[in-house]
Amino acid sequence: MRDVLVMGMGTSGLVAALRCQEAGLKVTLLAKGVGSTHLAPGTIDVLGYDPELVENPSEALPRFADRNPEHPYARIGADVVARSLEWFSERFDGYRYTGSVDENFLLPTAIGSIKPSTLVPETLAAGDLRKGGRLLFVGLRQLKDFYPALTAQNVANAKTPSGADISARAVQIEPPISGEADVTGLALARKFDDPGFLDAVATQISALVDGDEAVGLPAVLGLRRPREVWEGLQEALGRPVFEIPGLPPSVPGVRLHEILVAQFESAGGRVVVGAEAVGADTEGDRVTAVRVAAAARIKPFVARHFVLATGGFGSGAIEMTSSWKVRENVFDLPVMGVPADGQRFSPRYFDRQPMGRAGIRIDDSLHPLDGSGRRLYANLTVVGACIAGSEAWREKSGEGISLSSGYKAATTVIEEAM
Amino acid sequence: MKSVQTEVLVIGGGATGAGVAWDVATRGFDTVLVERKDLGEGTTGRFHGLLHSGGRYAVKDKLAAEECIHENLVLRRVAANTIENTGGYFVTTPWDDPAFGDRFMEGCRDCGIPVEEIAPPDAFRAEPRINRDISRVFTVPDAAIDAWKLVWDCAKSTKEHNGKILTYHRVLDILRTGDVVRGASVRNELSGEEFDVHADVTINATGAWAGKVADMAGCPGVQVLAGKGIMIAMNHRLVNVVVNRCTMPADGDILVPIRTVSVIGTTDIRIKDPDEPDVTQAEVEQMLDDGEKLVPGFRRARALRVWAGVRPLFKDVRAPETSDTRDVSRSHALLDHEARDGVTGFLTITGGKLTTFRMMAEETVDKMCEQLGTRRECRTSIDPLPASRTGKFYWLGERLSKREATMHEDQLICECELIQRRNLERVMKQRSSTILDDIRRAVRLGMGPCQGGFCMYRATGILHDVERIDSWTANRSLRDFLQERWKGVQPILYGDQLRQARLDDWIFHGVLDVEHLPTDRLEDRAEREHP
Ligand SMILES: Cc1cc2nc3c(=O)[nH]c(=O)nc-3n(C[C@H](O)[C@H](O)[C@H](O)COP(=O)(O)OP(=O)(O)OC[C@H]3O[C@@H](n4cnc5c(N)ncnc54)[C@H](O)[C@@H]3O)c2cc1C
Ligand SMILES: Cc1cc2nc3c(=O)[nH]c(=O)nc-3n(C[C@H](O)[C@H](O)[C@H](O)COP(=O)(O)OP(=O)(O)OC[C@H]3O[C@@H](n4cnc5c(N)ncnc54)[C@H](O)[C@@H]3O)c2cc1C
Repeated sequence: MRDVLVMGMGTSGLVAALRCQEAGLKVTLLAKGVGSTHLAPGTIDVLGYDPELVENPSEALPRFADRNPEHPYARIGADVVARSLEWFSERFDGYRYTGSVDENFLLPTAIGSIKPSTLVPETLAAGDLRKGGRLLFVGLRQLKDFYPALTAQNVANAKTPSGADISARAVQIEPPISGEADVTGLALARKFDDPGFLDAVATQISALVDGDEAVGLPAVLGLRRPREVWEGLQEALGRPVFEIPGLPPSVPGVRLHEILVAQFESAGGRVVVGAEAVGADTEGDRVTAVRVAAAARIKPFVARHFVLATGGFGSGAIEMTSSWKVRENVFDLPVMGVPADGQRFSPRYFDRQPMGRAGIRIDDSLHPLDGSGRRLYANLTVVGACIAGSEAWREKSGEGISLSSGYKAATTVIEEAM
Repeated sequence: MKSVQTEVLVIGGGATGAGVAWDVATRGFDTVLVERKDLGEGTTGRFHGLLHSGGRYAVKDKLAAEECIHENLVLRRVAANTIENTGGYFVTTPWDDPAFGDRFMEGCRDCGIPVEEIAPPDAFRAEPRINRDISRVFTVPDAAIDAWKLVWDCAKSTKEHNGKILTYHRVLDILRTGDVVRGASVRNELSGEEFDVHADVTINATGAWAGKVADMAGCPGVQVLAGKGIMIAMNHRLVNVVVNRCTMPADGDILVPIRTVSVIGTTDIRIKDPDEPDVTQAEVEQMLDDGEKLVPGFRRARALRVWAGVRPLFKDVRAPETSDTRDVSRSHALLDHEARDGVTGFLTITGGKLTTFRMMAEETVDKMCEQLGTRRECRTSIDPLPASRTGKFYWLGERLSKREATMHEDQLICECELIQRRNLERVMKQRSSTILDDIRRAVRLGMGPCQGGFCMYRATGILHDVERIDSWTANRSLRDFLQERWKGVQPILYGDQLRQARLDDWIFHGVLDVEHLPTDRLEDRAEREHP
């Protein structure tokens, strides 16, 4: 019999599944489709704003958890966050991640704000602005998802805590792609995998660089062999090169997904995609099976442990109907923190949005709770964006919560299984 | 101080004002139009999108019905490009009295509205989503009309005839010497500059604000009631013809297919201040329930955006007090302030409908000519607007066919509304506006399912390049757009649109972190300091 059924293959599900599989459990990873990895920048942002800029997450986290007792980090714990980051970094060689829980990078976004991120692909790191620097932003004419002039001006106006000098300018190049004016980021990334294409681009850029500028490009530097592409470009230009993540779909996110899935599969895990969990069978405080719709049939998936990593409101795992009723779609778990009529959202977009925190309440081992704080199922853990209590997009904590909760759920499952 | 001299000053850049300017300019007068915001940002840009056949008023208000059918036929000629010739149904649902249909037929015939009763199964074949319990169906020549295109085309014609269109110019006061109005003092809302526009005749076409402007001219007692109505745009063309309930005009009884969406509306609530029409959850619920009656499953469709408009309803001060604004005549009011107040050089035109805007303008300019003692023929029922000279109606596939022709040469900036980069750049240059919401109205940018999630970042980058604005201005523009959009989506965030909103949150806060862009504006910083 299967030991663990993980539902959802975003970061949280992938991490939980991989860790359990590596611990020797038999894991099935089941998903309707790919997760928000394909949309998100691929950086692990732990905590960026509280609401002031956070420079050192490990210092900020305990305080943050104290003040926000309903936040996922208050359940997960700062020490687990730190351990999960280390575990994650170790999964990547070749294409590596860099950073630690003791500091946040300050990386330029595609519009030129600077954003705190904790663990980042090595290919992004040279954009770090904490110590200032001279940057050249390079746009690719055929890509409509990056506007280097605006990015450069905003970056030049950015204020960092150190107040270090930043200078930035922008150029556009037109890589050799015949007959297409509108090329997506993913298509460009595949072209960069081709050494001839990379050479041509390097030649164009090297005619434009100046002094000791570092060179920033949209995050499309290769899909199959990103490390070689990035190193090749640095070598050809004789200077640091960095990628800037942009609008979905995200090339660094796809890389992350593919690397984790490959490791899970080579560790013996089983992946079932195109399958939707639609309900569950339970007995008392135990889940016995999850009902799964695939190929027009509904089939029970039996396991000893279940991990709900279905992604919350953003992926449709939790829904609100037109009569404002909220429902979690697999276990019908109670959804907490749904504000009353008229209070779900603030009329001002940049305000706190109360509805943003709605989700599933969990205990310290990530089991779901009901309204009175009673544990609902002993062999079910809830991870990632399903968990209540964070407005992750404003805190810059999305992947941090997904990674650390996925990691911790695996701890719970492994302990209970052994 | 700078001042501007003209023969005719038109105040208000909605359909009525733009129509008056078009009429005045094509009769050969010097014309200046001033609008405090962008063209079509008042009621005209917040209406339901229906070119009335008159059917709606055929029983209750014959005069209004006759005006509608008359203008419906004229506009099909002179403004074809703004019209999608959808046709319309009046349907008897289980909640409506079937006998009303007979009165409806009779009313339409009396008013000259082509009407025909068809067998419900024929209607179900053409419109498979409508309620199968509908018992009677009548066809009328309703259509969908694009008000933003319309006002900009009126403006274009005005400019072709040497008129001036001054958007973002607010009238602060009316200039008056003795009993003669001599123009208005205005403020450029973007630069802050104030100056006078001297005119022989001043025409007040400010819709729901007409009373305030008449007050400025010292002509008190022009009461324009504000009747608020909300509308919700749904993600699909749930229907391809306009569907009206066959009953006395009521709330939520019309569903209009407009481009790729369909719009349900509306309500009618009297409000005090036309500048503050809000949307309540109760109204949203009411529209969804009403939609459900016309198209079962309506609540499961995706709601894209909600907005409110205010009807300018002119009220005769002598009539008894009423709070149901629907009982006030929908017909327009042309006030001759010479006869009414002894003030010359000043006319007010308000009320009416978008459908009758041209006729209202014609009547106004005829009156003006009469007062000036000159006779010049009205051209607006004869010469088509610039974009309608080919006489072709707008059709749904128009943008797609253009896109297919240039797919490999141009970038698609807004996937939902099929807006290409070159077209967008051209419009940005033409409008010369740094306000993204103006660009939205100009080309319907960001009005599809993703509500700007993808295209607004691109549009900001392009605006920055094309208009050569600095990054501070670009940032403000994007932030303001996001705030404006939020107003329209926040009340209807449920189902898939809530999911979409979460994705957009992740794009604007997560990927781009717009909140922490450098800003030179105090209020943006203040927002950031909240807990
Ligand atoms: C555009 C975008 C930008 C982002 N930017 C950042 C960022 O800059 N920094 C950051 O830290 N985070 C960012 N995030 C957030 C981050 O990606 C998510 O918060 C987080 O990864 C959520 O992960 P998850 O594993 O909980 O769910 P998801 O990644 O949403 O995955 C959910 C999974 O569950 C599956 N699923 C759903 N329902 C079912 C079902 N019934 N049965 C089976 N499978 C199901 C889905 O198919 C999917 O595989 C971004 C997200 C998006 C969308
Ligand atoms: C909910 C609703 C649905 C409707 N649906 C339909 C429909 O389907 N079909 C139809 O035919 N009609 C419809 N109507 C009616 C129609 O929209 C209006 O009659 C028409 O748009 C009014 O146009 P207007 O130019 O008179 O007013 P507005 O469009 O409001 O224009 C007045 C302008 O004056 C400007 N202004 C105000 N004060 C000043 C100042 N001090 N200085 C400078 N400018 C100033 C305002 O900014 C505004 O742009 C609807 C109305 C509502 C409310």
